[in-house]
Amino acid sequence: MRRADQVTGIIVLVFSLTLMEGSRRLPPSATFGPGAGFLPFWLGALMAVLSALLLVKACLQPVASADTALFPNRRVLIPVGATIGSLAAYILVLDRLGFLLGTGLLTAFLLGVVERERWFTTVLVAVLNAVGLYVVFHLLLGVSLPKSVLGF
Amino acid sequence: MDVFQNILMGFRVALSFQNLLFCFVGVTLGTLIGVLPGIGPVTGVAILIPITFGLNPTTAIITMAGVYYGAMYGGSTTSILINVPGESSSVMTTLDGYQMARKGRAGPALGMAAFSSFMAGTLAVVLLTFIAPPLASVALSFGPPEYFALTFMGLTLVTSLSGQSMLKGIMSGVFGLIVACVGLDAISGEERFTFGNIYLLDGMGFIGVAVGLFAVAEVLVNLEEPMEQVFVQTALSLRTLFPNLQDWKDSLGPIGRSSLLGFFIGVLPGAGATIASFMSYAMEKKLSKHPEKFGTGIIQGVAAPEGANNAAAGGAMVPLLTLGIPGSGTTAVLLGALLIHGLRPGPLLFQNNPDFVWGVIASMYIGNVLLLVLNLPLVGIWASMLRVPYRILMPLIVTISAVGVFATDNNIFDMWVMFAFGIIGYLMRKLEFPAAPAVLGLVLGPLVERSLRQSLTISHGDLSIFFTRPISALLTICALLSLFAPVVRAVWQSRRMSPMEMKP
Repeated sequence: MRRADQVTGIIVLVFSLTLMEGSRRLPPSATFGPGAGFLPFWLGALMAVLSALLLVKACLQPVASADTALFPNRRVLIPVGATIGSLAAYILVLDRLGFLLGTGLLTAFLLGVVERERWFTTVLVAVLNAVGLYVVFHLLLGVSLPKSVLGF
Repeated sequence: MDVFQNILMGFRVALSFQNLLFCFVGVTLGTLIGVLPGIGPVTGVAILIPITFGLNPTTAIITMAGVYYGAMYGGSTTSILINVPGESSSVMTTLDGYQMARKGRAGPALGMAAFSSFMAGTLAVVLLTFIAPPLASVALSFGPPEYFALTFMGLTLVTSLSGQSMLKGIMSGVFGLIVACVGLDAISGEERFTFGNIYLLDGMGFIGVAVGLFAVAEVLVNLEEPMEQVFVQTALSLRTLFPNLQDWKDSLGPIGRSSLLGFFIGVLPGAGATIASFMSYAMEKKLSKHPEKFGTGIIQGVAAPEGANNAAAGGAMVPLLTLGIPGSGTTAVLLGALLIHGLRPGPLLFQNNPDFVWGVIASMYIGNVLLLVLNLPLVGIWASMLRVPYRILMPLIVTISAVGVFATDNNIFDMWVMFAFGIIGYLMRKLEFPAAPAVLGLVLGPLVERSLRQSLTISHGDLSIFFTRPISALLTICALLSLFAPVVRAVWQSRRMSPMEMKP
């Protein structure tokens, strides 16, 4: 956690300073009392102090103190990455693919590829899930879900 | 009596067909969420909010509240049968519950968990009925400084009680407040950090952030450790579920004590059902004549934590409804749901929307009865739900989350918010930052900002306004104490230690 905390500390510190800089461009005070930039600026300042504390604390920690890696097993990054990637792809193409097809494909990918379920179960769950959500959200709750170019 | 008139009116609201139906839907879904490992109550409430959009606010919140306390019931089933707590507040139940199941007493354990939950849950609603109105009328006199002090205290208590590192808890809370700043400034109308994106004018979508931080992050974390489930085989029929006379004798005391303890812990902002169940288990162990028997499968070890976590869920409704200050991650999400439905919880809610407040409170009485009826005869069905492997649930959680978030405002941008906060939430988990303070900061952000700026406007920029008014002074001091208590304790302990260290 030591190295991870150091990196986090630096990233959050940079983020806080950017936030403070951004807040300075907003009016710090209005006609009466503090303005739009007031709270973000001070939150940024507070966050900067906190992240500096985290950084210092991590640096003061003895190196040998059983430093556990953030990802002890690098192979777990594959399913995590695949899930994040497929979700991004889903959101990107949902407008063109339409809800039913997109959701079916995402379910099938997550179940069949990421979780390595048997193909029969995968297809069954994917179809039931997409149709089920369509029924609940579109037919029962009246949400207008994205349609594909084919019109479903 | 005023309270009785109000609660009668509440029952008239809650007993309408629609509300009764949705109360049932809520507690059923809640039990399901509690039973399924990998979906906690926060996640459950967050992904189910969109389902309530078409409903009127009262029905919607009756449903969500049902999900919340229903999950408290359901969590015990997994704890007892597979030694996996369905949610964090059922961790203590695994200790004796699973041991009871291994001794072939799964039935009475499940039965006592349900009875204890019912009694404690009902007692908590009774206390809520009588404590909430006077508290709300006191809160009517609160001005901006009091509100600021109150939100400040809520935030500091939550951060100081969640997770191992207080520093990380505070950072998480501040992060939530920062995210809340995005969008149009409510006072001056200035655009803040929108980067020209029209979707951000309204601020980061609350549901997107909450679902990302909890549901998506949880899915990603669970991908790393495949869950192993060791099922205890038991024949569960209605008859085996009833605890015997000795069980009742052993349990009534713990149930009573843990209900009271749980309720008051629930009322305190920051300490939720999880802490309540830990404390009640510890308390019963201390009070017991045979503390060594705890953990070997005794019924008190099931009755106490299950009672406490349900009572805490009721207690948590007190600050939420009367002050508009949530005390935990789940109630923060509930507050978000209320705001989406156009209700601002707080003392005025009792004056302006009495039918809502009392309808929801009355529905909690009904919900507890429904849960008992639902849980006892159907426990076999719930137990069989456990056979659904998590790998099938995972894609369902992801897709339900995504559609729910989309349905909030019918735009894809909110899904990107969910996506981004899913990754942020995952990293926060890995880095041991608690997520609850961030959601609390996000929900309370607008109230914090408005009350702070109004207070400073009243006082012409003088910070002493928070210390010169008695209620706000008391709350601010409590908040500062909770912030600095660990520091003071550390200094005090090192002082006490130092003479001893010098001696040898």
